[in-house]
Amino acid sequence: MERPRTLARAFGVAAAAILAAVIAVLVSSRSTASSSAADGVQDLPASPASALRVPAPTVLSGPAAAHWASVRHAVSARASPSETARLVAPLAATTPEGTANIVLVLGRARDRAGRLWVHVRLPVLPNDQTGWVPRQALGVYGVVETHLVIDLQRLTATLLRNGRPIFQAPIGAGRPEWPTPRGDFYIRDRLTRYKSAFYGPLAFGTSARSSVLTDWPGGGFIGIHGTSAPDLLPGRVSHGCVRLRNRDILELGRSMPVGTPVTIR
Amino acid sequence: MANEQTQHLTLSELDRDGAIREAVEQVSGDTRARFLGKAVLGSAALLGAVATPASADAAAASDVAILNYALTLEYLQSAFYTETERLGAIRGELKRVPRQLGAVERAHVRAIKAALGTAAARSPAFDFRGVTEDQTKFLKTAVAFEDLAAAAYKAQAARIRSPELLAAAISIHSVEARHAAWMRFLAGVTPAATAFDEGKPISEVKAIVASTHFVTAQPKMTSAKKPKYTG
Repeated sequence: MERPRTLARAFGVAAAAILAAVIAVLVSSRSTASSSAADGVQDLPASPASALRVPAPTVLSGPAAAHWASVRHAVSARASPSETARLVAPLAATTPEGTANIVLVLGRARDRAGRLWVHVRLPVLPNDQTGWVPRQALGVYGVVETHLVIDLQRLTATLLRNGRPIFQAPIGAGRPEWPTPRGDFYIRDRLTRYKSAFYGPLAFGTSARSSVLTDWPGGGFIGIHGTSAPDLLPGRVSHGCVRLRNRDILELGRSMPVGTPVTIR
Repeated sequence: MANEQTQHLTLSELDRDGAIREAVEQVSGDTRARFLGKAVLGSAALLGAVATPASADAAAASDVAILNYALTLEYLQSAFYTETERLGAIRGELKRVPRQLGAVERAHVRAIKAALGTAAARSPAFDFRGVTEDQTKFLKTAVAFEDLAAAAYKAQAARIRSPELLAAAISIHSVEARHAAWMRFLAGVTPAATAFDEGKPISEVKAIVASTHFVTAQPKMTSAKKPKYTG
């Protein structure tokens, strides 16, 4: 048995050697042919390097916390995505402060005619209402990764980014007779450079409204702002607005964009 | 990559006769003070400016203007795919398109902005008017945008003075052309119907972009009015 195996191995080695020699000849002849074909082409200098440092494709960091949309023109929000649905509330294109009126985007649907409608959170009374508006009545979409949580029990404001707390401060909230409304709202605008020690250096307008002070100038919207009486915080001291110490509202202002959802609980 | 020595030159070091500054102000509306501050161009186009200031500065100025033009188109594409991906309204076979193309267009924006430094034009706001939420309109617009980008880069290629910048522009152009072919295939349009492509001059590109009404002003979100909140 040993002899035939040795013989077979010897044949195998010889066959491999012959095959290698044939391949070497073929490669050599092809290389010669290639050189011949390239003979008519002059040597060219190397191409210049790119002037840009092109990074790898940039994937999105994660899901957005919320989308908002500006109101392009005055429109009626309806109870369902249909022109004939019940009217929920009119929406103006601007706020009482003269900024663009924005709404929080919750979803979308098409009516029977194929028209696109957007489900939005509304800045109207009673609080916490939603409605449907035609997409064509809305303008620019924006995205935010932040969410502000106002805790009326603990009297704190906590700002989350991508679900993680990045800011917390004590607050002043509404007195029992002028309660701060609970529910889901959003930041509508940002006021700065006005002259009022009472509101502090910075004020955010929200979509929340006082259900008691409905005849307040401007419609009784709830703001989140600084204060001239920091010693009262934390406490139930306001007409419904959320007050922060001036240094806290300024710090919050560095991280919280307009359009941020607000939960008051 | 460009020579390391050219990577961190500032425009203020090179803009000896203000030619670059004027071009950038023309394109981006930037101010002299801001422009002369810290703009860093990685482009080796500026190497020429060191060697022969007068003519090379003019060449670099033209290249900066072209880069800002490219950046504006990249902003448009990047915003379009990013918004589509974020909204998540596009389904089925097209769902991966905004994710893949958006990642690439965002990389283009980052690279060009890094090259231009503070001379980079700012992004306008975009109102895509429901196109990012509509399967059919999204694909048609993607075809149009990718065709447009490829044609715009092609038209500017012959005007680019810096070989290094031309190499960079060509590398982006071919990617835009691949995107265009992919989008055309998905839309059932012949990817390459002609043997030679025509470039589109800037006037034509601007007119096409303007006709979409996608470019708009940022909504006013802040005011100096005294608050009327309940307090």
